[in-house]
Amino acid sequence: MQGSVVRVRAAIQAYDQFRPWQKKAPYGLNGTGVVLPGEKILVTAALVANRTEVGLEKPGSAEKGGAEVEAIDYEANLALLRPEKPEFLRGFKGLSLGPALRAGDTAEVWQVERNGELLRNQAEILTVGVGRYPHDEAGFLQYGVRVSLPKRDDSYTLPLIRQNQLVGMVMMYDRDSQEGTAIPVPMIERFLKDAADGKYEGFPTLGVSWTPLRDPNLREEVNAPKGGGILITRVNPRGTAGRAGLREGDVLLSVDGMKLDEDGNYRDPLYGPTAIGNLVRVRPTVGSQARFLISRGGKEMEITGSYDRRARDEVAIPTLTFDTPPRYLVVGGLVFQQLSGTYLQEWGDKWTERAPQRLVELFSFQLEKRPDPADEVVFLSQVLPASLNLGYQQYSGLVLEKVNGKKIHNLAELSEVLSGIQEGSLVFEFMDDPGKLVLDAAEVNARQEEIRRAYGLPELRRL
Amino acid sequence: MVPESSRRMAKAKISQGFTLRNIPNPGWARNAIRQTGRFRYAGVLKAIWFPLVILALLPGCAKERQLHEAKKNTVMVEVTSQVWDYRLPWNPGTVSSGRGAGFIVAGKKILTNAHVVSGARNITVQREADPRRYAARVQYVAHDCDLAMLEVEDPAFFKGTSHLDLGGIPQLESVVSVYGFPIGGDRLSVTRGVVSRIDYNAYTHSGRESHLAIQIDAAINPGNSGGPVMQEDKVVGVAFQGFRGDVAQNVGYMIPTPVIRRFLKDVEDGKYDHYVDIAIRWMPLENPAMRKYLGRPNDGRGVVVTDVFSEGSSDGRLRPGDVLLAIDGYPIESDGSVRLEGKPVQLEEIVERKFAGNEVQLEVWRDGKVESVIVPLKPADMFSMYEILYEPPPRYVLYGGLVFQPLTANLMAVLAGGADLRLRQKYTMFATDQLYRETPEPVILSSVLPDASNVYLRGLAGQIVREINGKRIRTLMDVEPALEANGERTVIRFEGDARPAVLKREEVDRATPRIMAQYGIGEVSRTDVGDRRLAQGSFSREGSK
Repeated sequence: MQGSVVRVRAAIQAYDQFRPWQKKAPYGLNGTGVVLPGEKILVTAALVANRTEVGLEKPGSAEKGGAEVEAIDYEANLALLRPEKPEFLRGFKGLSLGPALRAGDTAEVWQVERNGELLRNQAEILTVGVGRYPHDEAGFLQYGVRVSLPKRDDSYTLPLIRQNQLVGMVMMYDRDSQEGTAIPVPMIERFLKDAADGKYEGFPTLGVSWTPLRDPNLREEVNAPKGGGILITRVNPRGTAGRAGLREGDVLLSVDGMKLDEDGNYRDPLYGPTAIGNLVRVRPTVGSQARFLISRGGKEMEITGSYDRRARDEVAIPTLTFDTPPRYLVVGGLVFQQLSGTYLQEWGDKWTERAPQRLVELFSFQLEKRPDPADEVVFLSQVLPASLNLGYQQYSGLVLEKVNGKKIHNLAELSEVLSGIQEGSLVFEFMDDPGKLVLDAAEVNARQEEIRRAYGLPELRRL
Repeated sequence: MVPESSRRMAKAKISQGFTLRNIPNPGWARNAIRQTGRFRYAGVLKAIWFPLVILALLPGCAKERQLHEAKKNTVMVEVTSQVWDYRLPWNPGTVSSGRGAGFIVAGKKILTNAHVVSGARNITVQREADPRRYAARVQYVAHDCDLAMLEVEDPAFFKGTSHLDLGGIPQLESVVSVYGFPIGGDRLSVTRGVVSRIDYNAYTHSGRESHLAIQIDAAINPGNSGGPVMQEDKVVGVAFQGFRGDVAQNVGYMIPTPVIRRFLKDVEDGKYDHYVDIAIRWMPLENPAMRKYLGRPNDGRGVVVTDVFSEGSSDGRLRPGDVLLAIDGYPIESDGSVRLEGKPVQLEEIVERKFAGNEVQLEVWRDGKVESVIVPLKPADMFSMYEILYEPPPRYVLYGGLVFQPLTANLMAVLAGGADLRLRQKYTMFATDQLYRETPEPVILSSVLPDASNVYLRGLAGQIVREINGKRIRTLMDVEPALEANGERTVIRFEGDARPAVLKREEVDRATPRIMAQYGIGEVSRTDVGDRRLAQGSFSREGSK
C-alpha cells in the first residue's frame, strides 16, 4: 500500500540520571509510521522518547526527510509527527481510522521490506480489555493480539490494519509466544481529537484508589446498597474525584450514568464489561463534566465535578521526565538532584530494593508523605570527592531539608539561598543520618571551578 | 547458616560511623548502601558463611604439649535439633542433626558455639579417648556472640581431662592451630594457619550483631564449629564461621578471647544477659569545616553524635551534635578509634566489654564546653527485631483462618519475595525511623488459611495490622483483647490503602474448630512474650495480661 506508511528512524539519547550533567550512549530505533490524512504520521511515543532527531524515509526509495513531534503522550504511548517539509508526503493518500475491534476479529500487521514492499501478516484479536501500558501507572484499553512477525528493521512500531484502515498500533510483541499488545483505535481517535486543536491536554484521571466490593461482610460494613459498586480506599484531594467531594469509605456506584459492578466494571456498549479505567480516562476529556453516584453511610447521593489531570500532574515527585534533562546543582562537590520516577528507575528492575529506601518511600507513598506538590524532593545524590568535602564522600541518597536553617523546597530555591551566602558555614540538614553536613562557604566558592574542571563537568548546575 | 554479604559491607558499616553493633542489615538495605549512584559494584559479591570448627597445632617445643592438652579436652558435640517453621507457627518444626566441636574449660564445663546447639532437643558429647557418648545439656546460650556452655551430669565423662585456659589476642601472622571434627572423617582433626586480620565482623548466627573477630587462613569446614583455636597451650579463639569455597578460600573466623571472657563473666550470676549498646550513631569528624562549625580545633580528635535512639542507653544523656572526645578516659580519634592495649579499636569496644547496669563515662564537647556524661548501659531492644530467633516458639494468633504474627527476622525470611514494599520498608526502617515508639512489635496478617469463611480475604496476607475493632494494635498481645471487643462483626484495618477485613463472629466461631482440625492446629494462639525482648514504646508490659 504505497502512500500509507513511512519508515521512521529516531536517534535516541537519554540523560544519565546518575551523572545528570551528561547523556548516555546514543542509539537508534526504527519503526513504521502510519500516514494519516492531513500529512501527519502516527507512531508510538516509545519510539521517539528521548529523541535527538527524528527522520523519515519513503519505502522503496532513498528519499529522506526530517520530522517534528507535534503531540506526544507517554501514558497513551502515542505520538504524532509532522514532516519538516510539507511536500515530503505529497502523493501519500494516508489511512483513515477503522472500526473498533472485538475479540475474535482478525486484522493485519504491516511491515516494510527493505525493497519497499509490504509484508502483511494475519493477526487475531485475542482479548480486548484494560491493561498496563509501558509508561502508565493505571491502565488503558488494549488489544491482545496473536500474530507471527518475522524480524525486520523497522518493527519498533507497527500498524494494525483491517481493510486498508488503521485499527491499532502494535506496541509490544513477544517473539516466543507470538503474542503482543496493540493500542486500539478508540485510544488513537481520542488522542488525535485532543491534538487537533494544537493544544494537547492528555487523558484525565480520577485520583482515587479503590477495591472491589464482592465480600458480603464488607458490603454490610460499609452499608453498600444491593449489588454493584466499589469501595474508595484513598482519595487525592486535588484530583477529579477529590475536588468533586468523593471521600475515603464512599461506595462508588456509577460514573457518568454508567453503573459499576462489584469488580469495578461498567458495561461498555462496544466491548461489554470493561474496567472503570476506560470509563474515566478515555471517554471523557479534560474539562468535561464528571457525575458520580455514591453511597455514603447507606445514603445515596450524586456529586459532580470536572475531569482533569491534576492528580497526575500536580505532584512533588514526577513519574515521567522523558525529554527533560535532569536538574542538578553541584556545591563543593556535593551533587544535589531533584527526585523523579525516572531517577529511581535508573536503579534497574529492582529499584524498590536497590535505590535509597527513603527516596523509594517518598515516591511510592507520595500522597501520604509529600502531599504538597510544591514540596519537591531535593536530595544529595553523590559526593564528588575533593579536599573540602573530606569525610562526606560515602554519603548518597540523603533528602535535603534545610540550608542554614532555611527550608528548601526545590533546586532553584537551593541555588538562590546558596548564592546569598558568601562566607561562614554552609549547614546542610538532611532527613536522615548523619543529619548535618557542613561546608565553608568561602572555600566552596573558591573551589567550585576547580571541582568543575577536575571532573570535567560542562556546568555546575542545571535548574 | 545465614547468607552474609561481603566483608566490604561490614567495613563500610563501621566506617560510616554506626556505633551500633546491631545495625540492621536486611538484604535490601545492604544493597541500598552498596550501590550508590557513584559506584555500582560490578556484580554482587555474595558470600555464604557456614559454621565451622577447627583445631590447630603449635610450632616448637610447646607443640607436643598443646596437642596432648587439646586431645584430652576437645569434645565432639552431636546435636539433634528442631527448627521452628514460621510459615506454620503452631507446628513443632523440623528435626535435624549435626555435629560440631567444643572444649572443656575450667569448672568442668564445655564451651561451644550457640549455633551448634540452637534448638537442641538432644545433645551428646564424646572425647577422643573415651568411646562412650555422654548426655549433655545447655546451661547458657548467647546467640548474640554465638557461644554456649554445656554441662555433663555424669562425672565419668571428665575422667582423664583437665581444662584449657584462655589466652590473649594473638599477633598478626602468628601461627594458630584449629581443632575439631570437620567433614571428611570422624576423628579429631587439626589444621594450622596464621592470623590474617583482627577486626569487627558480622556474627551471622544472630543476623544483627558485629563483634571483634579474628580471621585466620586455616581451612575451616562444617564441623569445626565450637572447636578451640590454640596458640602454645592456650585457647586464643573459638572457630565459628567462614566462607564457602566458591566465594573465598582460606578465610575462617574465630571468636577471640575478649568476647569469650565477656560471656564467661556474664553468666557468673547464673544467667546470660544480652550485649549492651550505647545506642547512638556517630560520624567521623574529619571535615575541617564541620570541625570549625562545631567549635573544635583541627587536632584529629573526637567524633560527632548524629543520632540518639529513643529508649536506648544514651536517650536523654547525649544529643545529636555532641562531640565525643573520650570514653572511659581513652581519647577518641577523629575516625572513632581508641587505643586499647596498644591496638587501635573502634570506640564501641569499650562498651562491648561491659555489662547491663555498667556505665561508660564520656567526655563530651557541648555548647562550647567540655562536659562529663555518664551513660548507664543496657541492651538496645529496638534492634531485637533483626535478631534471628532460635529457641522461643513462634508466637501467633489464629482467628477464622487469619494468622497474625509479630514482625520478626524469621517471619521476613519466610515471607521473602512475598512481602510488599510497605512491609519491607516497615522492617528496614523500624529502628532508624524509631517506628518502635509507635508500634513496638508490628503485627502482620501473615497468612489466610483457606476456608469457606474467608474466601474474600485471601489477598490480604502480608498486610500490616493497624487496628482491630477500632483498637490500635501495637503488639501481638493487643490482638486477642481487640478481637474479643467485637460485636456482631470484627473489622480489621491495615496500614496503607488495603481494604478492611470484615468477619462475622458467628461464622468465625463455627469455622474455627473446622480450620484447626483441617490444618492440625492445637492452640488458637501463643502470645506469651517469654524471654523475648521488645522495644518498650508506648507498650506497657503490665497492661497486657
